[in-house]
Amino acid sequence: MTEKRPKVLVVDDAATVRLYHTTLLTGAGFEVSEAANGLEAVEAALNTAFDLFVIDVNMPKMNGYTCVETLRSATVGTPAPIVMISTEDSRGDADRAYAAGANLYLVKPVDKDRLARVARMLTAGVAA
Amino acid sequence: MNPLLAQFLAEAADLLTQVDEGLLQLERDPGDPELVNEVFRAAHTFKGSSGLFDFPELTRLTHAAEDLLDAVRGGRLALDSGMTDDLLAAFDLIRGWLAHVTAHEQLPASAGADAAGLITKLRAPLGGEPAAAADATPARSGASTIDAAPDWLDQFDAEWLEETASWLVTTSATMRFVRYTPDEGCFFRAEDPLHLISQVPALAKLGLVQPAAWPPPADFDEYQCLIGFVLATRAAVGELNYLFRYVPDQIETVELDGTAIRRHLAGEAPATPVEEQMAHVAEAVAGNLELARDAYDILAAAQRSLNVDTPSGPRLAAVAHSVSAAAAALGMPVEAGEPDLESLTARVSTLLDSAPPPPEEPVAPPPPPPMAAADRGRADDPGGQVGTRILKVDQEKVDHLMELVGELNVAKNGLTFLADAAEEEFGSRVLGRRIKDQYSGLHRIAEELQAAVMDVRMLPLSVAFSRFPRLIRDLSRRLGKSVELVTEGEDTMADKDVIEALGDPLVHLVRNSLDHGIEASPADRVAAGKPAAATVTLTAVADGDAVIVEIADDGRGIDPDKVKRKAYEKGLISEEELEAMGDTDAVDLVFRPGFSTADQVSDLSGRGVGMDAVRASVEKLGGTVTMRSQLGRGTSTRLRLPLSMAVTQVMVISVAGQRFGIPVDLVVETVRVHAAEIGRVLHQEVVVLRDEVVPVVDLARALDMPWTPDPAADRAILIVSLHGQRVGLLVEQFHREVDVILKPMEGLLAYADEFSGTALLGDGLVLLVLNMKEVLNLAARAQ
Amino acid sequence: MPLELNETTATLSGVVTVDEVEPLAAWLRITDKPKVNLRRCNHLHTGALQALLLFQPRITSSPTDAFLATQVLPLLRGSSGGPVLPESEPP
Repeated sequence: MTEKRPKVLVVDDAATVRLYHTTLLTGAGFEVSEAANGLEAVEAALNTAFDLFVIDVNMPKMNGYTCVETLRSATVGTPAPIVMISTEDSRGDADRAYAAGANLYLVKPVDKDRLARVARMLTAGVAA
Repeated sequence: MNPLLAQFLAEAADLLTQVDEGLLQLERDPGDPELVNEVFRAAHTFKGSSGLFDFPELTRLTHAAEDLLDAVRGGRLALDSGMTDDLLAAFDLIRGWLAHVTAHEQLPASAGADAAGLITKLRAPLGGEPAAAADATPARSGASTIDAAPDWLDQFDAEWLEETASWLVTTSATMRFVRYTPDEGCFFRAEDPLHLISQVPALAKLGLVQPAAWPPPADFDEYQCLIGFVLATRAAVGELNYLFRYVPDQIETVELDGTAIRRHLAGEAPATPVEEQMAHVAEAVAGNLELARDAYDILAAAQRSLNVDTPSGPRLAAVAHSVSAAAAALGMPVEAGEPDLESLTARVSTLLDSAPPPPEEPVAPPPPPPMAAADRGRADDPGGQVGTRILKVDQEKVDHLMELVGELNVAKNGLTFLADAAEEEFGSRVLGRRIKDQYSGLHRIAEELQAAVMDVRMLPLSVAFSRFPRLIRDLSRRLGKSVELVTEGEDTMADKDVIEALGDPLVHLVRNSLDHGIEASPADRVAAGKPAAATVTLTAVADGDAVIVEIADDGRGIDPDKVKRKAYEKGLISEEELEAMGDTDAVDLVFRPGFSTADQVSDLSGRGVGMDAVRASVEKLGGTVTMRSQLGRGTSTRLRLPLSMAVTQVMVISVAGQRFGIPVDLVVETVRVHAAEIGRVLHQEVVVLRDEVVPVVDLARALDMPWTPDPAADRAILIVSLHGQRVGLLVEQFHREVDVILKPMEGLLAYADEFSGTALLGDGLVLLVLNMKEVLNLAARAQ
Repeated sequence: MPLELNETTATLSGVVTVDEVEPLAAWLRITDKPKVNLRRCNHLHTGALQALLLFQPRITSSPTDAFLATQVLPLLRGSSGGPVLPESEPP
């Protein structure tokens, strides 16, 4: 099995959530990296071309929105799809995520099958 | 335990500590926005992670706490001490729950009831319970949907089903149907399915699921549960979930209305292999439905992205990408290429129109923790860990490392004998020298390894101090005293065993200070010319291979005369002592068993535990306790403890039926020789081993124990090496080697120099460990 | 005593626990045409119910306990439109 696996960056300050997402996405055939906050995420994105980002909204150091804005800014400029995950089911927060450059806004807890499905769908061009 | 849950518990401990510390600091410094933010974030992270597990009460309670903190953070509320109390209580409750989860992987049964009151309190400053906002997770709102009738409905009497269906249709009502398939071994776990069923509220009908074939009576195992049950009830799903909370995996619940039952009775779901195939098809269709819904969501998100702003550059490219992906998933692929904003907007509208939102599917149950998934896939995960750089290691693993270091030391010691053998038996001086060189290299590494492992076991004293801010806050409020805590030297390190063992004595001393040491009221203090707020200082300093921990207060101090009088009244000292005793000795009286300075046992310092217990427990660790006090100025108690309580490896031997330990470092070998092989040189018994004359000491005689060896039996001789000298110890029997924590001698044996300490063996026996040097001295004198 | 065993009749009374399952099953195994009196029985352990189902003794008097009488007894009587018996399992 040497086929190319899509690369995804999981960004969340909670180690438990990271483990959950990493396990889930690894099982779904992704090559998963982790970042514990927005700054680490930006640093990782500068060094690796990820095919997908799964980003928590509420994080220390750099929150999710700023992180997404930075990823979309000229400095990083990734065109990869970004899924934001929040605990708040609010239209305003979703719009803020979309304005920042996210492509899907999901509310915690995210059904595991759903996250895997969406991740596969959004990276369909990458997977072998 | 499932690794995800283990991760959660480890992370939760840290987060809860952050919350606690933050709350206490906030109380002192209420305006600090950064502090509020920190506490909020920790609570928030905790809630987010808890949502991954099926702990609804935990999530609900944290949610309430988080909402309160959010209001404080947003400046809508000012945090008062009542709120702090409630918040601390909430996180205390959670901490208790997590301890239960650690042991049982589920919340205690009382969780819901315990949380309810606190949630109400937490929500009160915010204007009460929001309309079920706490439960707003979309996954949980599907309780009233009608399920498809399962095939096990056949287990009910058809006539009864018919009647029930009619009634339900007439009344537009629903009923819950449960299939309970008990585990075969459930009787061994004290489960009684029928008893559980007898508790189902509003039970309408019970049916039996018999085994496919009963065993012949002769083979019948009455302790194996072969039967199952189906039941129909008007109880709510929540009630059923609660009742069957310990056997959730053995329960299947559906909610049916009259139509669903009739459809089943009409044979629309025959229980045949065809049906299984149908189920697969249905699953596939459901999968497609879900897929379609996801794609629709992505398209809707793209539309919102295009509406809220006019994206360009990477953002536009990302939107275009997600639209193509969704379109492809819907089977309506769009041509590739870089679309402009306008054409993309148009394309999204077209796609959304042609793909109407799929109906909300019967909502899936909340995502269960991904047990199976969590067990695999980690090892082959090449993803760089950008996040954590600190490893959390199980204590047991460190202890195991320590054991291995011990074994390495013993194996290493074998090399010196090999070197001697090379020289003496094989006559190769060079080889002997080289083995010794190897030995010294290995020795250095082994020592460094041991030091490194010891270092891993070292923890800062802050671990032991961490509970005191909270303890002092709570106690001083209860006592109506005002007390400041000052801690110094929290960074001082000590072995984890020492830190752990320090906990209880420290708590007792601090409680004592607050309860008895500090003046009854701030007014009393002011009257005595002191600041109204008392100060309790906790200090730690390293002192060579010991750590000194001091608890000092600036309270009223101990009145030596009063102490002496009390001790005299209690019969602890004689009249002469009462007259002659100096102040320092008088203060020391508080450590006497049976002494208590308070006239009545207070509820704080607890009953039955006095200062004597503190001294006993510290001395058990090989430490000392001293107290100094100045009347009117305060009291300080000083604990001196060894920095580490590393394990010592001893070889256990017995003589005259009594077991003793000898440090393994000294042991060269064990030999058995014929009684006749023991010779005499002058007055000394000797044995010749490999051409070397080794003196033999009769251990029983040296220790003055009555024992005569069986003349017919071989002699068991333990060869030890002391200061380069080899000596044989005649013993009765060899036993195993054990790792022990050596404690200094106390009580009557404290002056028995031939013992270096005592150790508790695994079987509860106390082992005396020999001080070889003194034993040999004794033997020399006994000659 | 929750379990009284005579030559042909077993009398179950009070709460029949898992401890009574083994003696009851042993008695049913060796007794010819056993009869069981459930009148004063308040609860039947699942294991005891299972043994009664397998050995099919005659139930001589109905329990006074409501749950046992209305829900459990019909299961034992099988005939009153209860569960499908193993013999009549469809092929």
